[in-house]
Amino acid sequence: MNNYYPKILGILLLLLILPGQLLAQGRRISGRVTSAQDGSSIPGVNVVVRGTTQGVSTDADGNYTITVPGDNAVLLFTSIGLVPQEITVGNRTTINLQMQEAVNELAQVVVTGYNTAQKKDITGSIASVSSERFKEIPIASFDQALQGQAAGVQVTQSSGTPGGGITVRVRGNTSISASNRPLFIVDGVPVEDGALSGRDFGGQSDNAFSLINPNDIESIQILKDASAKAIYGSRAANGVVLVTTKRGKTNQKTTFTAEAQRGLTDVVKRPDLLNSAELLELQREAVINAGENPDRLGLIKGITDGINTDWVDAILRKGVYQQYQVSATGGNERTRFYLSGNFRDEEGVQLNNRFTRYTGSLNLDHKATSQLSFGTNLTLARAKNKRVKGDNFLDGVYSAAVKSLPYYSPYNEQGKLYAPNDANYPGFPNFNPVAQAVLPRFDTYSVKILGGLYAEYEFIQNLRLRSKVSIDYNNVTEDNFEPSSTAIGGFLPSVGGKGYGVFINQNLSTFINSNTLTYNTILAGKHRLNGMLGLEVLQRTQVSGNLQGRLFPSDDFTYITSAGIVDNGSSARLNSGLLSTFGEIRYDYDERYLATITARYDGSSRFGRSRRFGFFPSASLAWRISGEKFMERFRFLNDLKLRTSFGYTGNERIGDFQFLGTWAAVTYSGASGTGPAALANATLQWERTREANIGLDASFFNGRLNVTFDAYSNLTDNLLFAEPIPVTTGFGSVQGNIGSVSNKGMELTISTVNIDRVIRWNTDLNLSRNINRVEELASEEPLFRGYTANGVTGTNVIVPGQPLGTFWGLKFLGVDPATGDAIYEDKNDDGRISPDDAQIIGTAQPKLFGGLTNRITWKGFDLSVFFQFSYGNKVLNMSNTSFINNGADLESNQTRKAMQRWQKPGDITSVPRYVYQNTYNNYHSSRFLEDGSYLRLKNLTFGYNLDKRWVSRVKASSARIFVSGTNLWTLTRYTGSDPEVSTLDGSTAAQGIDFFTFPQIRTAMVGLTVSF
Amino acid sequence: MAPALPGRAKSDLMKRYTKLILLTLITLVSCREVLEPQPVDLLVDQLALNEPADVETVRIGLYSSLRGMAAPMIIAGDFTADYIQHNGTFTDYRELGTKQITAANGAVSALWSAMYRTIYVANFIIERLPEVSGVRDQTRRQVLAEARFMRGFAYFVGAHTYGAVPKVTNTDQTANRNIGRTPKAEILAFALEDYQAALADAPDEAASAAYVSKNVVRAALARYYLYQKNWAQAEQFATQVIDSKAYTLESDYQTIVTADFTDESILEVGYTVSDDPGTSTFGLNNILVGRREVIPSNQVVVALISPEAGTRRSTITFNSQQLKGSDNGWTVRKYGSADEDNNNIVLFRLAEMYLIRAEARAQLGRLSGANGALADLNVLRNRASVTALTSGSQADILSAIERERIYELAFEGHRWYDLVRTGRAQAVMTAFSPNWNSRYELWPVPQSEIQRNPALKGNQNPGY
Repeated sequence: MNNYYPKILGILLLLLILPGQLLAQGRRISGRVTSAQDGSSIPGVNVVVRGTTQGVSTDADGNYTITVPGDNAVLLFTSIGLVPQEITVGNRTTINLQMQEAVNELAQVVVTGYNTAQKKDITGSIASVSSERFKEIPIASFDQALQGQAAGVQVTQSSGTPGGGITVRVRGNTSISASNRPLFIVDGVPVEDGALSGRDFGGQSDNAFSLINPNDIESIQILKDASAKAIYGSRAANGVVLVTTKRGKTNQKTTFTAEAQRGLTDVVKRPDLLNSAELLELQREAVINAGENPDRLGLIKGITDGINTDWVDAILRKGVYQQYQVSATGGNERTRFYLSGNFRDEEGVQLNNRFTRYTGSLNLDHKATSQLSFGTNLTLARAKNKRVKGDNFLDGVYSAAVKSLPYYSPYNEQGKLYAPNDANYPGFPNFNPVAQAVLPRFDTYSVKILGGLYAEYEFIQNLRLRSKVSIDYNNVTEDNFEPSSTAIGGFLPSVGGKGYGVFINQNLSTFINSNTLTYNTILAGKHRLNGMLGLEVLQRTQVSGNLQGRLFPSDDFTYITSAGIVDNGSSARLNSGLLSTFGEIRYDYDERYLATITARYDGSSRFGRSRRFGFFPSASLAWRISGEKFMERFRFLNDLKLRTSFGYTGNERIGDFQFLGTWAAVTYSGASGTGPAALANATLQWERTREANIGLDASFFNGRLNVTFDAYSNLTDNLLFAEPIPVTTGFGSVQGNIGSVSNKGMELTISTVNIDRVIRWNTDLNLSRNINRVEELASEEPLFRGYTANGVTGTNVIVPGQPLGTFWGLKFLGVDPATGDAIYEDKNDDGRISPDDAQIIGTAQPKLFGGLTNRITWKGFDLSVFFQFSYGNKVLNMSNTSFINNGADLESNQTRKAMQRWQKPGDITSVPRYVYQNTYNNYHSSRFLEDGSYLRLKNLTFGYNLDKRWVSRVKASSARIFVSGTNLWTLTRYTGSDPEVSTLDGSTAAQGIDFFTFPQIRTAMVGLTVSF
Repeated sequence: MAPALPGRAKSDLMKRYTKLILLTLITLVSCREVLEPQPVDLLVDQLALNEPADVETVRIGLYSSLRGMAAPMIIAGDFTADYIQHNGTFTDYRELGTKQITAANGAVSALWSAMYRTIYVANFIIERLPEVSGVRDQTRRQVLAEARFMRGFAYFVGAHTYGAVPKVTNTDQTANRNIGRTPKAEILAFALEDYQAALADAPDEAASAAYVSKNVVRAALARYYLYQKNWAQAEQFATQVIDSKAYTLESDYQTIVTADFTDESILEVGYTVSDDPGTSTFGLNNILVGRREVIPSNQVVVALISPEAGTRRSTITFNSQQLKGSDNGWTVRKYGSADEDNNNIVLFRLAEMYLIRAEARAQLGRLSGANGALADLNVLRNRASVTALTSGSQADILSAIERERIYELAFEGHRWYDLVRTGRAQAVMTAFSPNWNSRYELWPVPQSEIQRNPALKGNQNPGY
């Protein structure tokens, strides 16, 4: 550490002195280049004094400063893709300029982390998603907006829960035990991702991003290769998602926009379950097959099936979705602003489930002098999430309703909900799902403040120091109570039977200070140089506390202050930090030969002293073939750029203090002591990903056909991994850096303007193929993940040579027509079926995924049709181990398919016979693994922009009405409710499991947008 | 704009540099704070046991690890046998209830893990404690004795549950990652050494039945010799415990069911309401009362409500509301519910000593009289308000002792071990379940251990 700082200091000083030598005599002109189309600033525009080799290029905000010899000097503004302009200086000292796009898309501005650039100058692989793509889709969080919109980005919504978890993967999974989430950066701040709440509800968690209003977002960039990502060093291995919020534009009159959306939601598909009579017949058969008397078990015809309740209908409803937003934006030469307020309310399809959010945001930029500018961004959000239990929770709502026996009723004759002490209470294991939905209070309140202040000062011409201080503050409170009329609060004596209250408060705050020094210049007319050096400090603090209370005097007292016993209280604080320097040099010659070198040196608190610092370099080269003389004859080709990159990135997200050998507090008979918690590994270090990428950007026919192709090969080694060790050592695992995982793949993005007349039709297509493979592990022994299952060790396995997310189980060969029993492959030929016969049965990784959007506009009308698909992935329909349980127990309802069971010798079927309490036929096997491929009409929007003449009568500048539907149609062979599913929200090794997971929802809505 | 004077430009630059240097310095100061935060809830390894004050905390850690073994031990002892039927959804318990136990069973690995974690802490203390300076000699001897008792007990349980098991005698990580099975007899001999060493240094009296005293070690030795069929030694140690007068039988059996720290408790692992295992997979009150994942089998219900069981029928209770389907409506009460603060698990109590002595004496042919088997048996029958037995053949009396162990010790983790050691397992269990197989006289070595420990590869118990 001590040797390290003087070095940085030295470099910083050198950079300051160097340009000092370049100070030339003359007049100083400064200004800003913006787009004529939308007023946004354009970086990387060449500004050259005509007749000289003296020039600069514009910076991230389109600013430039140049020294000219005198009044007669003429400034030449050029950039491929923009219409060049010549400006005579005259006596001005400020020259702001608007430039016209010459070729579609080329001048598009891309945020590259601490900098911005025009798309044409990018040498790495970056995908952009503009707000146009998602503004009329009722998404709750911006990560959802990425689904099917960017090549190489795989997005899976874990369930249909409002405000629920979403899995985002950029170019595959790199890690077994550390996080696989990309680094999400909003306006320069690495924001909290994943679940905020301290309570999981059976697998489905909440989503921190649901506190950021997607309507405030201008654009999202996804950094995909080493060249683009290495600037984020130790956190970049899983890709980086940069979110930029809306800011005011220069010289734009203040515009007010009001938007309203309102719609209805429903599940995409309901399971087909048996009614009482059918189920009773099946259960009686199972009991008789087991040689017992079904009447003695209470399965009596005419009595047991006297009630027939459709539990799924009982707990579902049509939800109402609504969102309203008012915003104002505008600006002059010196000050720009964006201000918005938004209200969103989504009623869940499950009874009592609701997500309500209020957000507000203010972005302000001010240019005080030609050298000094400053500004702020501020986002405030508050959400209330009324949650319900699901998935792996027996006392869930949907998860219990689908299993519940139709023999019971939710209400008694007086219309009162059956409670634990009533004779007709369904009881363990499914309880009364309607009561489970309606009676508990699972309110989650969350507050987010994301704010930053920045100042930028130009010390010397085009040498700018920008310093920004930001915080991301999140507070989440779980205010939970389950009254004595619910399963936990009243049925389970283990918690006392008199109410159960939980209170959790978590405070997660990140403080970050980023300082960057940038310099742009053009040397000898054609050598363009762009340098950036940065220093960043990040500190994250997590303070949390929770309490659980039991034995409440009555259900009128629902807060823990009234609890008879308060137990399992805890509080904790966790700090982590990152201290980094980073730099980037971009160079090009004549915009034909481009090179970028990027590196970051990170120090992280998550590693032991000896391995605390890591260096992550990358380099990339690009060749604009279309800039060569010999290409001039291909007039239809506007741009053709070949790029290649190589570099290293890391993953430091393994949790804190993992390198320490530790003892933790334990209790015994009222006394406190310490017990061993973890083994030490002082050399624990980052996961490192070596990335190579080769890509091609091409633009044809004046930008009407744009193609981007990328191929990559990444290898992650030093995998952070809790190596399982025999417990004869006293421990079950030790943290280490063992093994490697590779991701290889190809991505293709094509956007076309098919027709461009009165009717305009354009198409965007993206396709991705990623091959994930575990290359090396500590041992050949399979590592089990996911759930434990009947007759096998686990549902998922990690083994070398296979991808992450590989399914494990017995191989189901069919049903013996003679006996009706399942036949499994006896893999080890020992004559018996045992856990040793389990094998790899499939993978959750798709072979191909992508999205296709078609947009057609005609006069004021527009139609957008967005399909999204996943092909070649398997889904483990684990719900079927209960839904088609072959009589293993009598406690859950069965699906229609169960009626196909084997009944008599000679029956040919894929469903084994039903035998009460026989688990053999219900062993976890490939019988439960299904093709999860799907093609989905993710969104269809039809809109109409009202004629300006009508609009202006009400003093409005524009008005638009639209109807939009999501998840309207799905093509799939999957027999469960929905193939887009993951009960273990966010899991990598055990993705794609359907375990009573609440299916995706379908939304139909209308919207109105008016601007003044 | 006029060209700047060179001199002024320079001083301006200097000012700017100063600012920059300051900025860097501010960052430098916070470097330690940023990169070296301290955990608030963990103690670093090297600090766990290096001064006298640490001895007590690590000792509690030792007891806590013993406590981890208790519930899986009860599950092994009772759920493997004919006491329970499955009534829930967990695969682990379904396998145990329907006698289809596999090497992947969670309870199988839970007991194994808890056992070796206990052995690890014991070995850690045995290795480190002698080197900690400033510890009072008496404390040192006592804690070492406790560590050796725990290790001995863990191996005793391990040997009778899994047969041959790896013999781990130190905390060496490398060696213990690749360690084969040591024959059962050797493991038991090693456990005996530990017991004997513990007997020498254990305190005469402990603060409560939650901690080890000489009588605890004697009780363990009585059980040890009973399992070894060394009747004379078993009788001797049981007698020592009984004659110590440190424990008295509770007059009402229900107290045994509903209370912690009864007068006859010799060793029980302690929970309070606030560290109750709650809804954990192996929390007994959760499994038996909360979820009723397992319920008493019909035949243990018949036994416990028979006249001969007397007041010991309070071990289980009936709720007619729960009587439906395969649920017989009965619930095991010995571990209470989470809020009843009756969650301690008794490992040794006085009644077992009478039963050990009765069995030893019966085996030695001493059936009646003041020092005969019947006298001990009748002590318990008398407490349970059941008529005394007055005579019988040796076989009759041994059979009466077997029944008495059901009444008295049901759900305290004895049944399976009793059936196996008396050679009755096949006869009793095949009658109970069509799935029973002689391989179930031992639990399998956990699948995961075989996969992780190369020396265990291909060395599973027969039949699994």
